[in-house]
Amino acid sequence: MLIFAVAVVGFAYASVGFGLKGRLPSGMFTYLLAFIVIMALAHLAVRRFAPYADPLLVPVAAMLNGLGVVMTYRLQEAGRDGNPGANVNGHGLFVPMNSSATLIQIFYTAIGVACFVAVLVMFREARTLQRYTYTLGAAGLFLIALPALLPSSISGVPGTGAKIQISLGGFTLQPEEFAKLALAVSFAGYLVAKRDALALAGRRVLGIDLPRGRDLGPILVVWGLSLLLLVFESDIGTSAVFMGMFVAMLYIATSRTSWLLIGFLLFVAGAFTASKLFSHVGARFSAWLHPFTAVNIQNSAFQLVKGLEGMGSGGLLGKGLGSGQPYLTPLVQSDLVFTGFGEELGLTGLMALLLLYALIAQRGLSTALMVKDPFSKLLAGGLSFMFALQVFVIVGGVTRLIPLTGITTPFLSQGGSSLVASWVMIAVLARLSDTARRPPPQPIQEEGLTQVVSLQ
Amino acid sequence: MNRALKRISLAVLAMFLLLLINVNYLQGFDTSSLAAEPFNTRTLTNQVQYQRGPIVTSDGVTIAESKPSGDIFKYQRAYSNGPVYSPVTGYDTLYSQTGIEFAENNLLAGNDNALAIRNFIDMITNKPRKGATVQTTINSKAQNAAYNGLVQKLQGTGRSGGVVAVNPRTGAILAMASYPSYDPNQLATHDGTLLNTRDKALLADPQNPLLDRATHVTFPPGSTFKIITSSTLLSQQPGTNPNTQVASPTTLTLPQTSHILHNDNNTVCGNGGGQAPLITAFAQSCDTTFAKIGMDVGGQALNNMATAFGMNSSSLKIPFSVTPSNYVIPPSLALTAFSAIGQFSDTVTPLQEAMFAAAIANNGTLMKPYLVQQVTASDLSVVQQATPSVLSQPVSASVANEVKQMMTAVVQQPDGTASAFNQASVGVEIAGKTGTAQNGINNTGLNDAVFTAFAPVANPQIAVGVIVGGGGYGASAAAPIAVQVIKAYLGIK
Repeated sequence: MLIFAVAVVGFAYASVGFGLKGRLPSGMFTYLLAFIVIMALAHLAVRRFAPYADPLLVPVAAMLNGLGVVMTYRLQEAGRDGNPGANVNGHGLFVPMNSSATLIQIFYTAIGVACFVAVLVMFREARTLQRYTYTLGAAGLFLIALPALLPSSISGVPGTGAKIQISLGGFTLQPEEFAKLALAVSFAGYLVAKRDALALAGRRVLGIDLPRGRDLGPILVVWGLSLLLLVFESDIGTSAVFMGMFVAMLYIATSRTSWLLIGFLLFVAGAFTASKLFSHVGARFSAWLHPFTAVNIQNSAFQLVKGLEGMGSGGLLGKGLGSGQPYLTPLVQSDLVFTGFGEELGLTGLMALLLLYALIAQRGLSTALMVKDPFSKLLAGGLSFMFALQVFVIVGGVTRLIPLTGITTPFLSQGGSSLVASWVMIAVLARLSDTARRPPPQPIQEEGLTQVVSLQ
Repeated sequence: MNRALKRISLAVLAMFLLLLINVNYLQGFDTSSLAAEPFNTRTLTNQVQYQRGPIVTSDGVTIAESKPSGDIFKYQRAYSNGPVYSPVTGYDTLYSQTGIEFAENNLLAGNDNALAIRNFIDMITNKPRKGATVQTTINSKAQNAAYNGLVQKLQGTGRSGGVVAVNPRTGAILAMASYPSYDPNQLATHDGTLLNTRDKALLADPQNPLLDRATHVTFPPGSTFKIITSSTLLSQQPGTNPNTQVASPTTLTLPQTSHILHNDNNTVCGNGGGQAPLITAFAQSCDTTFAKIGMDVGGQALNNMATAFGMNSSSLKIPFSVTPSNYVIPPSLALTAFSAIGQFSDTVTPLQEAMFAAAIANNGTLMKPYLVQQVTASDLSVVQQATPSVLSQPVSASVANEVKQMMTAVVQQPDGTASAFNQASVGVEIAGKTGTAQNGINNTGLNDAVFTAFAPVANPQIAVGVIVGGGGYGASAAAPIAVQVIKAYLGIK
């Protein structure tokens, strides 16, 4: 399976070369060899440390990651060495990419897989994570708060109002990617401890079971704090993913529909208030509803429209890797990478990508169903739902199903933090599925037998 | 917990289903409307992602071609001798086309249905798609002569003019020049801002260089309309011939008016006896004679004949449509008299002038003018081939022959208005008709010089129509250009 995934990546890579230059890309074998070695290590680590882990997780993640690297290479080459895409007369790649962007992306892949292996080695049992409930909760909050506290020269994303990264010496880190994972673990631990109280104790108001304030308190505090910070950092997409994850985990823990209702109402109220209070949020809504009006098309909806037009030009089969014009779409290397795939791989390619994402989410959820202990169940369910929700928010955003909010596309976007965090998530899912699928220990048959000795 | 997990799984399934449906809608159904969005850079650049086919003349001179450009628009359109050929090629900008670039856009761009199978084979064999080559009927020598002639007469005057030459036997357009002209290279830029600036400058130019005077501007035909008046008379009254004596008064008082019509510079027609042979009156271009003939045959008959010669038609396409030349049936006899000598509301394009001569040269059969000889795909196979077709038969062969005699007299007889261009001085026997059309309110403007001609008389190969706005006498301003074009085409030094 992994060989197949790597082969697909290899073909995609060769396809870029042919599309751009009519021959194999020059550095192809070095890049591909590095990729194969990294993925082989991931595979060996799973065989050694989590032999019963779900066999689909690593190949699917490897394929997505590989395609992300290929797209990075394709965009890096745009406008370089005579390839179309030069920034001429205001047309061309909006942010020309570093000529070593592919190398850096492979380097991040290596770090991601190293973290993957480290998680598998360090946590032989997923339940051990439960010990760090409060540590990780604090760490998650700290990571989220960090960019907001730092000056915007370090934390600001150029060209946007967002303050979500830590930029030092040319390398940038987006702490929220890791905060998501930390908070997911923390919430799973907390909810497992308190779920009976949350589910059963409380008053019934208007047919809805309300939980007790003291049980609800810590959650609301963490939730409100994270949301405030996110709004302060102008990162609506991530806050939506957080909210969705918390509500889903509460629902899984308590099986009480009231949580879904409360969560949904809070979300709608929050979104509405935000759209009225913050002009940039209101602009997102306007861009979503009326992207093609003359004002929006040149301003707030510019990247959305360029992405849609790119997908439109891709049609059913796409232009072929290296043959489209994804460089006309702003941020196509990160937030709008999905439209770049739509343009060059077409509807066919996008359906395949969505099914790969769906596969990861489905494996995670089925692990959640299979695994026995409640903490693992909650963690697997929460992580899978968060992953699916993140895909929904960004893919739905760029395809104009919902308002566009800038978050990374797992595995595909250029950039290290999201990639490493995604691999860590795969590691946790692999560990959980290993636990879930491990056959129960066989009782030793001979133990209780008494040896009969016949004496003559 | 499992029940809640299953519900969450269903929610995840629903989310992915929504995404799948949405991408299917976007990339399956919404593609064409997205492509039609006004600011879609991809649609704009797609036009130039493939090498657009060249436009060449019938003698193999490339006048428009696409060269590799190195920017995101892979190819840059380039026009050689742009101002000379602009009425033929038109321009190809990011947003619009004119001329051949417009009329043959699908073939040049390579997405015409006729090219679909070849494109498919190219796709399979991994050959880059290329547009088809459009070969025009234009003769580069005639075209250069026509444009240079206009430049000589009009440069620096602020006035305009046009020349069209056709092959009378086929209708193939041999030359089509307009002055003032513009360089289509200016508009072929891929820089939208620069394009806008240049476009505005051209549009603001009081000389209006973008306007094609060869086929899109009409002028009064002046005395060249006497070809129509004569043809009407000779067709209507079978007894008449070029030697028939017709009334040629020195002055003519127009009925129901006090207006007295007299010939140019009050010259006497014929021998001054009040009668002259039709051929003499024609050669000397006597206004009184033809005004009277016009009143005799009537506005309706003149209208029928003018229509048969291709006027009053808005359906002609060469392949792009041309501005119709008009004859309006006059409301009074006096105005009929004016209309018979090419005044009143008569308007013609230089193309129409060429068609007058062509119909007479081709024994009364007017061939449909066309500009595209053949279209060849990138693999050199012929996609389209022009087949000459008859547009109309305005006069019988015998009437045409009689008009031919009279037009020959204009140039070859010593008393003809264009006798300066007789066979001895030019080296080929030309037949033609001059026109000096009065202009402006109460005819205060400069006269437009008009000339329509064909040559050689014995075996007509080229018919030319020339109009030089404000040029004065047809014989001195328009005829020299026509002669230059004829000599260039026939290879006469």
